Amino acid sequence: MAPKSSDSQSHILNQSDPTTNGSIDPIFHLVRILPYSVLRAPRLRLKLPSLSLPSPMTVFSLVLLTYFMVVSGIVYDVIVEPPGIGSTQEPVTGTVRPIVFMSGRVNGQYIIEGLSSGFMFVLGGIGIVLLDLALDKNRAKSVKVSYASAGVSSIVFSYVMSMLFIRIKIPAYLR
Amino acid sequence: MPPQTMSAKTDATIGVNGTAKSTSNQAPPPMALPANLKSDLLNKLSLKSFKLKTKQQELLLRVSILFLVYVLAFITRLFSVLRYESMIHEFDPYFNYRTTLFLTEKGFYEFWNWFDYESWYPLGRIVGGTLYPGLMVTAALIYWGLRFLRFAVHIREVCVLTAPFFASNTTLVAYFFGKEIWDSSAGLVAAALIAICPGYISRSVAGSYDNEGVAIFALLLTFYLFVKAVNTGSLTWSLASAFGYFYMVSAWGGYVFIINLIPLYVLVLLITGRYSVRLYIAYNCMYVLGMLLAMQIRFVGFQHVQSGEHMAAMGVFFLMQVFYFLDWVKYLLSDKRLFETFLRITVTTTVGLAAVALGVGTASGYISPWTGRFYSLLDPTYAKDHIPIIASVSEHQPTAWSSFMFDFHILLFLFPAGLYFCFKRLTDATIFIVMYGLTSMYFAGVMVRLILVATPAVCLISAIAVSATVKNLAQLLRTKSKVTQGGSSKAASGSKASSKALLDQSQPFQRNGAIALLLGVFYLLSKYATHCTWVTSEAYSSPSIVLAARGAHGNKVIFDDYREAYFWLQQNTPTDAKVMSWWDYGYQITAMANRTVIVDNNTWNNTHIATVGRAMSSYEDEAYEIMRELDVGYVLVVFGGVTGYSSDDINKFLWMVRIGGGVFPVIKEPDYLVNGEYRVDKGAAPKMLNCLMYKLCYYRFGELMTEYGKPPGFDRARGVEIGNKDIKLEHLEEAFTTSNWIVRIYKVKPPNNRW
Repeated sequence: MAPKSSDSQSHILNQSDPTTNGSIDPIFHLVRILPYSVLRAPRLRLKLPSLSLPSPMTVFSLVLLTYFMVVSGIVYDVIVEPPGIGSTQEPVTGTVRPIVFMSGRVNGQYIIEGLSSGFMFVLGGIGIVLLDLALDKNRAKSVKVSYASAGVSSIVFSYVMSMLFIRIKIPAYLR
Repeated sequence: MPPQTMSAKTDATIGVNGTAKSTSNQAPPPMALPANLKSDLLNKLSLKSFKLKTKQQELLLRVSILFLVYVLAFITRLFSVLRYESMIHEFDPYFNYRTTLFLTEKGFYEFWNWFDYESWYPLGRIVGGTLYPGLMVTAALIYWGLRFLRFAVHIREVCVLTAPFFASNTTLVAYFFGKEIWDSSAGLVAAALIAICPGYISRSVAGSYDNEGVAIFALLLTFYLFVKAVNTGSLTWSLASAFGYFYMVSAWGGYVFIINLIPLYVLVLLITGRYSVRLYIAYNCMYVLGMLLAMQIRFVGFQHVQSGEHMAAMGVFFLMQVFYFLDWVKYLLSDKRLFETFLRITVTTTVGLAAVALGVGTASGYISPWTGRFYSLLDPTYAKDHIPIIASVSEHQPTAWSSFMFDFHILLFLFPAGLYFCFKRLTDATIFIVMYGLTSMYFAGVMVRLILVATPAVCLISAIAVSATVKNLAQLLRTKSKVTQGGSSKAASGSKASSKALLDQSQPFQRNGAIALLLGVFYLLSKYATHCTWVTSEAYSSPSIVLAARGAHGNKVIFDDYREAYFWLQQNTPTDAKVMSWWDYGYQITAMANRTVIVDNNTWNNTHIATVGRAMSSYEDEAYEIMRELDVGYVLVVFGGVTGYSSDDINKFLWMVRIGGGVFPVIKEPDYLVNGEYRVDKGAAPKMLNCLMYKLCYYRFGELMTEYGKPPGFDRARGVEIGNKDIKLEHLEEAFTTSNWIVRIYKVKPPNNRW
């Protein structure tokens, strides 16, 4: 019943518009009557941007970036506002020497030391990912070999550097 | 299995090798029979009769690994029990111990309705309505169970060992969870990683009788049951997850994490187009039943419908109903365009109604806004500016990279790799673990204490990385000629013969490479185990109430001053004496010295704490007024100047000033600083040199020689000689100082007799 009456109405008002046939939207009918029985709707060539879900690997790269920031201690940097790099003054000559690692506590850092350690962790993670990519069967052999060697060297490098960093920071580590 | 014995029997009758010798002459059978018997026995005794099928071998391997991991998780937490004794650590566990003692002595109803007049004098504390009873009830149940079996244990032993016991149970839940997300080998690795991970050990060591010990078990159990419910769509698992949520709500205030993560997860599933009836059943059952059960805990009350932190769950609940409704309408309608219009109308109406309801609720005050504790997680700078008491707790500081490294070690490398594997194989379960991992890592970055909540997620995701990598490498080891057949067709070089030769050359290289990489993986995991054990032994096994240091000759020196002071209080003061100290020591004083305190670790009344802070930072006369008002009999301070103990009251003094000054503007922080610097030596501010805390800590200290070659009155914790050595107390007198001067107790003198 309702579609029929709107059908006849739409036939009178807008003969070339097929979308009004059988529309159940009450607001559409209201708006059609009130301003647009007098005004003429302009012909627009607008296209609504279509939102599509990003691919998993795009999301993964964003996640990796966020992980890098969190693990570098960015929240600590924002709240405590440590200097980018520490400094100490030589008692004899008076020259100012930089100190990269804040020593004395486990839960304290300078900005640069946080960022470099975070980079090491992410590099290690990427190394393992490269290792998995190297074992994928659908690639050329040279690519597989280069991925594997890059992966292994990344893991080894980042592990060695991380151990070095923690040993510098906490002299009593593993003793 | 029977063929062996049957053939033995037939051999006995027919003869060996099937020759019919049964009716032959006498000589051979006597010699053949013993030989037959011998081989028969040998066959039975050899392991061939015990040969298990591969499935049974695998089951045996898994069960034995899980058993070993269970035992490992328990014994790695026992360092402090072996080094010192079986005692409760830190501050909060003493309150939990006292309440558990009350529960076992007086029964559940007395416990549930308990009003404690011995703390927060003169306000008192409604204990029944302001604690999470899960931990106490669990320990009491274990205690009653053991007593029923006629094991005469003391409740203290049960309390001390509750946390390691539940840590072992967590490894089992981690195994099942890993099995649900990926496969059983990932589950085994996850169980092994979580058994020794320092992030979890730090709060669940033996003696650390705190809510988190039980809460992490409840958290992982709830998540496992929910993911199982979403995977199977079964009503049983959904109801089980609701009960798991109830246990979590009864155990810890961190249940807010669950009630926000699960709706977020459901939302992500809806956005990625993974709506299904299984999800509908799981979430509805868990939310409705879980909410009703959570309201049984008096401390939580009606927060699930009234508090802003719980509104996300309700919003997603209604959104699910809308999704189900739309799905049903889509099924009924055959016209696609009609359905699209209907969809648009419904979505607009729903969003509009929800916004209106939320607005009305918030504006009328029915829905309370986010509390400071949880709001400071979303906006970390909030606590620093507005709530100094939250900012002062050392566990609430943001996390630096070294804390992450200390608590996770190689898991920090494996976590992004595990995320990659999860993103490669996206299922409902892997989406959940990814979300849990990311949200918990963000919160761990905001607050050091929350590394504990991130640990299970990090262990599970790292286990996926380890398991997938080891599987890949082991597959490389196992491939033999089949790869050459397939690989030669894809070879880039010329003729098939040369390519086959190349691949034949690379086969052993591949195998050697895989073996080397596997050895590397095992090396890394063994370094992880070494690191975890070292960290547990050195950093996380100190009871905090007993201090240890290295003496001059490398021998271990133990400072048991705290317990000495509390015991003195218990023995030498009247039973109704009130003790004033900073809130850190309140729980310990009430539990061990059995005396009434003014403020304790519950910190529920900021003004009361500020009053104490004001008293500590005022001159002696003003402080005496405040102490007379509060009817204080004794004052307790902690002083580390003789031993070099750095967590004493002088180092905490600025927080007393800040908190006191937050409520009473008469206390101003710059009065105690010199050029923005906090000093206690000759150049210190005059207000600092004469305030009550300074006088009580350094009374008679000016005459003491603390270090060879330094003047008397040298403060070893600050490294300076104190400024005001000639201290006279007018309204207090020294009652007791412990053997290493760590705890000092002063008696408040009654007012002079009026003439």
